[in-house]
Amino acid sequence: MTRPVGPAPVGPAPVGPAPVGPDVTRRRLLRGIGAGALGLAALPLAGCALEAAHAAGGSETPEDELTFLISNLDGGWVPSKSAISSYEANVWQQLTDKLVHTDEKGTITPWIAESWDVASDSTEFTLHLKDGVTFSDGTALDADAVVANLDVWAKGRPDAGIAKVGLFPGSTYDGAEALDERTVRVRFTAPSLSFLPTLGYHGCLLLSPDSVARSLGEQSDLAHQIGSGPFVLDSWAASDHVTLVRREDYDWAPPVLGRSGAAALRRITFKVLPDDTLRASAARAHQSDVSYNVNPQVLDSFTEAGFTIEVPRYLGFTHGFRVRTNVAPFDDVRVRRAITRGIDRDEILRTVFTKDWESATSWLQSSVPEAEDHSDLFPFDPDSAARLLDDAGWTGRSEDGYRTKDGTELAFTLYPTPYLTGSVPEAELISQQLGRLGIRVATQKIDVAAYSGKVEDNPDQGLAEVTRSFVDAGTVAGVITADGEDWFALGDSDERLADLAGRVAGTADRTERAGVIDELSQHVLEQAYFIPLEQNVQRIYVQTPELSGITVNAVAIPSYHAATKTGSGADGTGADA
Amino acid sequence: MIALKRVGQAVLVIALAYVLVFLVLAAIPGDPVSAQLENPQAGYSEAEKAQIRSFYGLDKPVLVQLLISIGNALRGDLGISLSTSAPVSSTIGEAIPSTLALAATALVFALLIALILGFASQSLGEGRLGGLVRSLPTVFLSTPNFLIGLVLIQVFAVQLGAFSIIDPETAGSTAFAALTLAIPVSAQIAQVFITALDTTTALDHTEVALSRGLAPVRVFARHLLRPSLLPTVTVCGLVVGELLGGSLITETIFGRAGIGTVVQKAVTSQDVPVLQAAVVLSAAVFVGVNLVIDLVLPLLDPRLRAPREAS
Repeated sequence: MTRPVGPAPVGPAPVGPAPVGPDVTRRRLLRGIGAGALGLAALPLAGCALEAAHAAGGSETPEDELTFLISNLDGGWVPSKSAISSYEANVWQQLTDKLVHTDEKGTITPWIAESWDVASDSTEFTLHLKDGVTFSDGTALDADAVVANLDVWAKGRPDAGIAKVGLFPGSTYDGAEALDERTVRVRFTAPSLSFLPTLGYHGCLLLSPDSVARSLGEQSDLAHQIGSGPFVLDSWAASDHVTLVRREDYDWAPPVLGRSGAAALRRITFKVLPDDTLRASAARAHQSDVSYNVNPQVLDSFTEAGFTIEVPRYLGFTHGFRVRTNVAPFDDVRVRRAITRGIDRDEILRTVFTKDWESATSWLQSSVPEAEDHSDLFPFDPDSAARLLDDAGWTGRSEDGYRTKDGTELAFTLYPTPYLTGSVPEAELISQQLGRLGIRVATQKIDVAAYSGKVEDNPDQGLAEVTRSFVDAGTVAGVITADGEDWFALGDSDERLADLAGRVAGTADRTERAGVIDELSQHVLEQAYFIPLEQNVQRIYVQTPELSGITVNAVAIPSYHAATKTGSGADGTGADA
Repeated sequence: MIALKRVGQAVLVIALAYVLVFLVLAAIPGDPVSAQLENPQAGYSEAEKAQIRSFYGLDKPVLVQLLISIGNALRGDLGISLSTSAPVSSTIGEAIPSTLALAATALVFALLIALILGFASQSLGEGRLGGLVRSLPTVFLSTPNFLIGLVLIQVFAVQLGAFSIIDPETAGSTAFAALTLAIPVSAQIAQVFITALDTTTALDHTEVALSRGLAPVRVFARHLLRPSLLPTVTVCGLVVGELLGGSLITETIFGRAGIGTVVQKAVTSQDVPVLQAAVVLSAAVFVGVNLVIDLVLPLLDPRLRAPREAS
């Protein structure tokens, strides 16, 4: 309106004392514009929101695509490092094949190896390979390729920083040779019953000879890992995602998956979302199909929202404590038994976990074929626990009310394992339960970096948590003997145990061995060398109820080859193959 | 001469950061290689563990390891990550674009917010509304950035579905992440900006301009803005540190795979080579930006370049 067009007042005329007039105008005008400016501030943000709304329009994933949320894929892609990781194994399983399939009961069925012959003393194995199998780069998965893989599983390439596959019977491995294009002979210097089941173990994944021979740095790039599995890599970015697409000419799935030919799903996206609540939010907003390893304590909210909880159990040891019997006060069997009977496993299941978890029935998971139910050997019985402690001489009381003997308080520290979700609240609950018996149990949270020093390798730490899988129960011999891991720090002092372990290792007949393993288990539980807690669950899959057709293996890793999201025609029959 | 000295100081700071990170992490027990080998699932023997550790040189004395690391770094070899075995250069390189997008957007947002707050502070006067505007920076500064992020995610992503949670690199998601980061950063800029504006408003030439009846926006843009920019630009250099630090939290909350995420993982897993590179990069960025700002200031303010031309 009042355009200041005219010549500005020349000279220093009325500036200073410029009275009320201009001031009022200035205020009013500025105020108006100020308000407008504040509104402007919201504009770019509103713009973003609008644009984003468009981008997220089709957030619900298509029917033949699977979105899998995972907290990390930090282990990287060097197979010897991450094939057995709880996280990367989910990707490896879709990308690669194995020689045999070992199911959740430990039953071995053919996969790339169509059949096999075993020498009577279990020292020589002949594998007959399926014809026409190729890696995704077109090279043949033949006997030479299998030998290249076997050598690395057994020995690793230590000079290149590549480790062997931990559970592979490498110390007795005498070499493998290709007899012809489709036949491989493997020799061992001692009976190796565990060889065949180990071939189905997550560490033993088949990669092209070219991938196997690469340097450590090159192996860290997933694009260099050429497998023969039902899915191939589409794209990946560290700490962000791995996208796999179906391999159309795939035709060698293990028969147990119930589907031949290419996979049912077209695409699988593994998306890294480190934050627990964010993964939960994404699931509730239907932006994902599977969320992996959600904290057990928030699982109920997922069940209420209509999600299915899958807690596949692997073959192995139950979650529990192994006891170093040379550390006081655990050198007294009465104290060990008292602790075993002072733990209320039902309360742990109710409080820390959900109904999907089950109590331990032995020190072996109940799915292990050789495992028998020995839960009568470790009942919850606080009265008898108290009597045992009295008998052991822990009859005094400290100022705080804990038991004492000769002025020493009955006390120890638990370091909850960082390898198990829920171990911290579980340890705190055990601390309360044993506190009622008069045992002072401190708990201290610890991270992966410090765990081995404080617990695994610390000869003064009496109780160490066990979360260990195996594909063959023969493993038990190696962990308890003096020349093995000597879990119970017994050395050769328990002759009966040493004898049983020796017989487990040296028996070539599976049925006979099962009897010895059961005898061994009873002895371990009676002596309370191992204090079982619950059936070990290290993998928790929260998934949409439409998802079906999933098969898990002996180490509880799912195969998505036959999986579909329609919820029909996919009950493992492969009707739509 | 002065410029040379400053560059020398910058290099020294970066070198010290490199050594310090190594020594601090060496003092803490454990390393990612051992952690992986000790995983109870792995079942390695002591001899097998020792072989692998020696490949990484982890069996050597700490000082020898440090000298090797410095030697390699001088030759441009940053080594491989101890946890993923990926080359450190590509680990860092792949994370840069994401952080750059986040930090740049956040800086633009922060400047916009500061500009608007500054304008409002001058136009709303001393009244209640003006007081509110003037107190906003303090509120912004004291609101934790993770809280802002979680609220934005809850409201805009979960309830309104305005952006995708699982795809944090989309423009929409980046915008909200940037806003999370921008709010505390804008407060620092706004505080300095408003103070500078106040000073300038009190000057005679502003009074003159107003008395001439110039439109307020014009007065703001022509007479207030430029003199007030000087301290504001200086503070922009300082908030780069805030942007880098805040990106760590923001990236974690929004699940972005940027430098902040790399640093966070490297710290938790004690991945020394990656952390060294990331810290050196951050130090270099911080020092570099401030160097540039020192050089830009004379362009904004003739007084700073006056001495040379004065005669």
